[in-house]
Amino acid sequence: MKTMRETRRKLRMVAASAMCLGIALTGTALAGSVLAGNASASPTSNDGWIRLAHLSPNTPAVDVYLYAFGNSDAFQVLKHVSYGTVSAYEPLAAGDYSVAMRGAGAAASSPAVLSADVDIQAGHAYTVAGMGPESGLRLAVLDDQLTTPPGQALVRVIQASLKQNMVNVSFAGQTLANGLKFGSVSSYATVSPGAGDVTVSYSGDAPVTDSVSLAADTVHTLVVLDGTNGLEVVDLVDAAGNSAVPTGGVATGFGGTAPHGPPSAVPWLVMMAAGGVLAASAGLWLRRLPRLGT
Amino acid sequence: MAAAGIVAAGIGVAGLLLTHHGTPGERPTGLVAALPVPTGTIAAPPEPSVTRQVAEPVSLTIPVIAVRTQLVHLGLTATGALQVPPTTAVAGWYTGSSRPGAIGPAIIDGHIDSYQGPGIFFRLVELRPGDRVYIRRADGTLVVFRVVKVQTYLKDHFPTEAVYGPTPDAELRLITCGGAFDSATGHYLSNVVVYAIQAT
Repeated sequence: MKTMRETRRKLRMVAASAMCLGIALTGTALAGSVLAGNASASPTSNDGWIRLAHLSPNTPAVDVYLYAFGNSDAFQVLKHVSYGTVSAYEPLAAGDYSVAMRGAGAAASSPAVLSADVDIQAGHAYTVAGMGPESGLRLAVLDDQLTTPPGQALVRVIQASLKQNMVNVSFAGQTLANGLKFGSVSSYATVSPGAGDVTVSYSGDAPVTDSVSLAADTVHTLVVLDGTNGLEVVDLVDAAGNSAVPTGGVATGFGGTAPHGPPSAVPWLVMMAAGGVLAASAGLWLRRLPRLGT
Repeated sequence: MAAAGIVAAGIGVAGLLLTHHGTPGERPTGLVAALPVPTGTIAAPPEPSVTRQVAEPVSLTIPVIAVRTQLVHLGLTATGALQVPPTTAVAGWYTGSSRPGAIGPAIIDGHIDSYQGPGIFFRLVELRPGDRVYIRRADGTLVVFRVVKVQTYLKDHFPTEAVYGPTPDAELRLITCGGAFDSATGHYLSNVVVYAIQAT
């Protein structure tokens, strides 16, 4: 008798713990299937790019201020920018901005010598340059090309020499600019990539040459400057792209970590539900057993 | 009957846990120790007038998601698509793209997973704006990039221009798979692209 009572008590305990376990496990499974899902990325605003340049030979060094349009506090200041300086491009969120130039060291609150508004569009690049003679100084906002015809190079010329009013510029025999006046910018020329000499000729002394290398899919701006010993040419790489652009998406996955959809979870959930039902039934069955003693 | 119930419930739980792996996208807090930040001479962003060739990339480290890998060289497939690394344990640099730290977008891709489990870029989608990516070059210098955005695109609507298009500064694109997995074809339906720019 005592043995049977013991057995039944043990059975009841096991059944009870099975019920608890079944409930706990069902809860875990439900939580698990809810967590399964795909991560989503958070998109941010697209960027454009801006660079600043001082291309007025007889204008002293300036401080260049960058403002978000309508803001009176500059979020960036380039100090002591002197003639011939072209900054690197800086990415900025698309939108309206203001550029102001003040004499180097002038107070930020003092009136700007020059200012211009720039509307930066996503995916576009701009050069904001102080151009012309000091007496006629102006801020030019240039739209900069980034994309070349496939396998080619693009080149334009900025004439920033005050001493030579007009220049002719060629690369490897191909004319890039003819009679380009001081303070002006040529249009882009498509050039076959390669290394060669840029030749700058003007009325007077012997032409100036500079060897440059124009890689495929790059955009260049050549700047003609008044150097200490006559004309100088600076070759700026504006942009570079891929030599061959891949097509379509990229096959970088085999699925080993892919969450299975609801159909895959169901068999497991069914099994757990069945387990829970069995445990519950066992509990109910135990309760129907006649109690023997205490 | 009770025993059978317990066993059934146990099998149910085990099966569910075994077939549902960690989900990409949620960054576990404190579970995985981040890697130490690489040290060395940090390369400055390229000056526009300098056309000197920079050294090739050899390795990639992303401490915040514990990624450290050599970089194999990748080209294009016969159909013009971007090649992928031969194993799921390494990432690769597309040699037709800019070298990291030179003007233009440098393209790097890696697998999110193998048939069995996570690949080198399993946690790529956890990256957030401001996270740092480090690339070691063949001359020992370090190029540091700052993540600016993470996007998921359907492969059917892959934005080629945004991902591969020319840039006027030194940028980086890290690409892996993501989104839903199509068991019928054995391919993920989307790509995850991390955009980063060289930190100043």
